[in-house]
Amino acid sequence: MRAFAKLHPAVNLVYFLCVLSVCMFVPHPVLEAEALVGGALFCAATGKRGNIKGELLFYIPMFFIAAAVNPLFSHNGVTPLFFLNGNPVTLEALLYGVSMAAALVGALLWCKAYSGVMTSDKHLYLFGRLWPKLSLVLSSALRFIPVFLRQSRRVGRAQKAMGLYSGKSLTDRIKNKGRVLSSMVLWSLENAVEVSAAMRARGYGCGRKRTSFSLFRMRAGDKVWLSLCLALYAAVLAAALTGDLNFSFYPKIGEISLSAAALLGYAAFGALSLLPFAAEIKEAVQWRYCVSKI
Amino acid sequence: MKKDIPLFLGIILIVAVLVNGTHIQSVDEYYLTHIDDITPESKTVTLSIRCDTVLENYGDLDPALKSDGFVPPDGVILPPTEYVLREGDTVFDVLDRAVRYNKIQMEYQGSSESPFGSVYIQGIHWLYEFSCGPLSGWMYRVDGEFPHYGCSRYVLHDGQVIEWVYTCELGQDVGAEWMGGQGK
Repeated sequence: MRAFAKLHPAVNLVYFLCVLSVCMFVPHPVLEAEALVGGALFCAATGKRGNIKGELLFYIPMFFIAAAVNPLFSHNGVTPLFFLNGNPVTLEALLYGVSMAAALVGALLWCKAYSGVMTSDKHLYLFGRLWPKLSLVLSSALRFIPVFLRQSRRVGRAQKAMGLYSGKSLTDRIKNKGRVLSSMVLWSLENAVEVSAAMRARGYGCGRKRTSFSLFRMRAGDKVWLSLCLALYAAVLAAALTGDLNFSFYPKIGEISLSAAALLGYAAFGALSLLPFAAEIKEAVQWRYCVSKI
Repeated sequence: MKKDIPLFLGIILIVAVLVNGTHIQSVDEYYLTHIDDITPESKTVTLSIRCDTVLENYGDLDPALKSDGFVPPDGVILPPTEYVLREGDTVFDVLDRAVRYNKIQMEYQGSSESPFGSVYIQGIHWLYEFSCGPLSGWMYRVDGEFPHYGCSRYVLHDGQVIEWVYTCELGQDVGAEWMGGQGK
């Protein structure tokens, strides 16, 4: 189930840039819903099975908190529901919060998909020539996150084995986490020094031009993907430039435009955000079919 | 579990403080404001709310607000009306009572205890700060003068005339002299 990740890195990058830019800069409820659904389906199709419950426990409360915060601070809108300390809490602000929460969770899901697909070798391949330093820093910074998590789990286990704060109460667990964190701060400083020393020992930054090897080739399928992705993106941008994708919540909720340009925009972005999921499904169906023939 | 007791007590304390500081009113309750009847011996002030400058800069207005329902064609949101002045009333108190009585939407920020020492009126009648260009917002004048401080610090006297006016040029177009306007 890695049909999308097997494409050429440039295709992956262009695709993610297209989806994320629309998701973040064209605030329209239909597009946000499409980005959310597409991102969720893709993450569900490619993620580990066991993780799904934990992910839901993170994203669903996050969605509701993000949606609930807006009406507490923004009181514009023609439909007051009730009054909080003399300021109205309005239906418009609530719906605007829901829309922003959908955009936020959608963008987060796509960023998660990005980090799963764009591994550090792909980053180095794409940006190694252009900005060698930046790509090195980026890939080592991104690598630091899983290393940090692994090490903190290791420290936590060691402390538990020594019998420190092994109680089940909430206070004990919080204290334990605090202890682990304080030791992790020291460890990460030390780790940074060690990594830089190791890299110097291997000759990074000594002035010689480094060569690298990678096995990425632009195949016909990649070109089809790239042109499809750019064509859909251009359709969404064209629809956005006509102004039919402008949507306002304040002071009165606008209407979801049903003009030809707007419909084209919804359809194009819906197709764009479902492309990787469709690719995964196609791969899975093909695999089942091949297996059934054996 | 005994160790968790202080933690839970702390959480309960925070929640109690938050609940205590929150005052929830239903829509009807909020608009059901008692306005004192004017009697011959009662002190009164006159209040009006206008947005004429928006009509002069209609092109800058937020497209979502371009409707007679949000910007009245004559620029008058509240015509000059007399209200009874209670002891120690500030401009904000009178405005708050008047908008509630007339069911005009209003959003404000802060309280008298805020770092600015005053309430800031963000929007009246869905017309907000920055709704009509980057220099727009609400200002008030009392007897033709724009005070240098916030509306909840201006204590009113009998017979004063309060005008809330919308400016699109940081006060210059409504005649705030200290902002570089022409005066009245």
